[in-house]
Amino acid sequence: MSSIKEYLTNDHRACDEVFAQMEEKANNSLVDAKEITQSFVADMERHFQREERVMFPEFETKTGMLNGPTEMMRQEHSQMRNLMQQLLGAIENDDKDKFFGLSETLMILLQQHNMKEEQMLYTMAQQHLSADAKRIVEMMDSLVVE
Amino acid sequence: MDFNGLSIDQAPPISGPLRFFITAPLFGIMAGVMLLFSDSASLMSRYSMDAIVIAHLLTIGLFGFIMLGALTQMLPVLASANIPKVKFVASLSHMLLLIGLLLMSFGLTQNNALALFLASGALGGGFLILVVSMLYAISGVEHFTASVKGMLVSLIFAFMIVIMGLYLLYGYAQNNLTELHYIVANIHSVWAVFGFAGILIIGVAFQVLPMFYVAPRFKQFCKKRVVLLISTGLLIWMVLNIFAEQYALYAKLWIATFFWAFATTVWIKFNKRKRPISDVTVWYWRAASIFLTLGSFLWIFDEFFKHQYIVMVGILIGGGFILSIMLGMLYKIVPFLVWFHLNAEGYMTIPTMNEMIDKNLARVQFILFIAALIGFVFAFYMPMALFPSAVAFIVSMMLLEYNVLAPVWIYIQTKKRKPDFDMSSFSMTN
Repeated sequence: MSSIKEYLTNDHRACDEVFAQMEEKANNSLVDAKEITQSFVADMERHFQREERVMFPEFETKTGMLNGPTEMMRQEHSQMRNLMQQLLGAIENDDKDKFFGLSETLMILLQQHNMKEEQMLYTMAQQHLSADAKRIVEMMDSLVVE
Repeated sequence: MDFNGLSIDQAPPISGPLRFFITAPLFGIMAGVMLLFSDSASLMSRYSMDAIVIAHLLTIGLFGFIMLGALTQMLPVLASANIPKVKFVASLSHMLLLIGLLLMSFGLTQNNALALFLASGALGGGFLILVVSMLYAISGVEHFTASVKGMLVSLIFAFMIVIMGLYLLYGYAQNNLTELHYIVANIHSVWAVFGFAGILIIGVAFQVLPMFYVAPRFKQFCKKRVVLLISTGLLIWMVLNIFAEQYALYAKLWIATFFWAFATTVWIKFNKRKRPISDVTVWYWRAASIFLTLGSFLWIFDEFFKHQYIVMVGILIGGGFILSIMLGMLYKIVPFLVWFHLNAEGYMTIPTMNEMIDKNLARVQFILFIAALIGFVFAFYMPMALFPSAVAFIVSMMLLEYNVLAPVWIYIQTKKRKPDFDMSSFSMTN
């Protein structure tokens, strides 16, 4: 069983792969990229919920930090959700320039967000939640997206 | 445990890095103007005053400023290291460096001892305040990644080259250039290029290339050993350079091999990247990789020609490699910072990053910059090439300034006009 850090980090890399495929498709034709963009958005949403509904509350309960790093990460999730909605909108409008403008912005936001999480939050979570790591990873793994 | 790195309030204020980025191209313009009025013969010698002043306008003013500005932004994100009182430290250090560099340029060209004394105070203060604050911030990091290690080692080299630089300035102020002066000058320049800038770029590339371009990750060997191997090479080179110069070539070969390997690796990683985008930043990385390869070989080659090509090595590695990467990064970091800060403050309908800088102007800037570099190299054989190359360089720096200011202008205008705070749902009228 992988650790919380490994589990969520792998999730990041998996989303990166889909992101790259999405851009590749969109580069050829925006219409054809609709499906993969939707699945990218769904993957991201699942990852966000794994954090927001499982890992963050566990972390907050254990450390007592309610307005700390997890709150900041939630804010960045909401920035990304907003960008992803606009991304789908750009496909509807068949606006390629807009699409790549948004995807570039999302990419940088996403990566600096990932760095903060992987560098700091996951390492912290691993330290504080190591006793419950197995249970938490299982919960994240079996999460049903709302 | 310090969580401040994850809070927007504690994230470095946008003015910290921006003040460095906005000033940097101005020094590029200054260096270009000086090039216009220099004759190519005096530039052939690395120890002519013109060459020293132009080199420092570029190394401190242009890429030093970009690096320092970027570090204030990257340390919290890449390393979770928070510079204490970052706004104060960044603005004080920026002001001191700005004044110091101008005084130094004036002092060296006019042979004015007082200006040089003042310059060493201002430059020493400006650099040390920032470098020591950054080292202090890194000392609190618990989890050292390869990138953080690269930054740490590079800052240690920065500390050393600043101390050496102060010694050199003092020599000019006293008008007393001993044999030691030239030995220190040589170490100062090699460590600045390969130790500070080179290692910093390699360290950051470990993280940035795979993440932002979805390129294959660097091998564990690279991430774990390369920075150590290069720094050891630089130390051995220094010792040999002082005590057994006839063997210094071997250390140079050692250092050049790793940089050439890095250049090749970057090229291959870009070929294998999964993102299809090819914007001006990708061009800059590609150009950097080519120039670094040429520069590394010429650096070794130069050893057999009584160092007559050393200024050309400086152009290839300093301009072609380091500066290319700095400029490419600037095209990403400035629009992102503007977007991120505006978005985090609640402005939703703002331009995306790509809409902030005119793509064509960025391309023209790139082409002029590369043309100028190639022109400078040819100016060694054709002095007449210096003038048009300097003009191309000046124009490219003016365009760079414009391209940096365009997103900043959007930031200022958006904050001023407050176009939307997404208040539409609360609006009762119109």
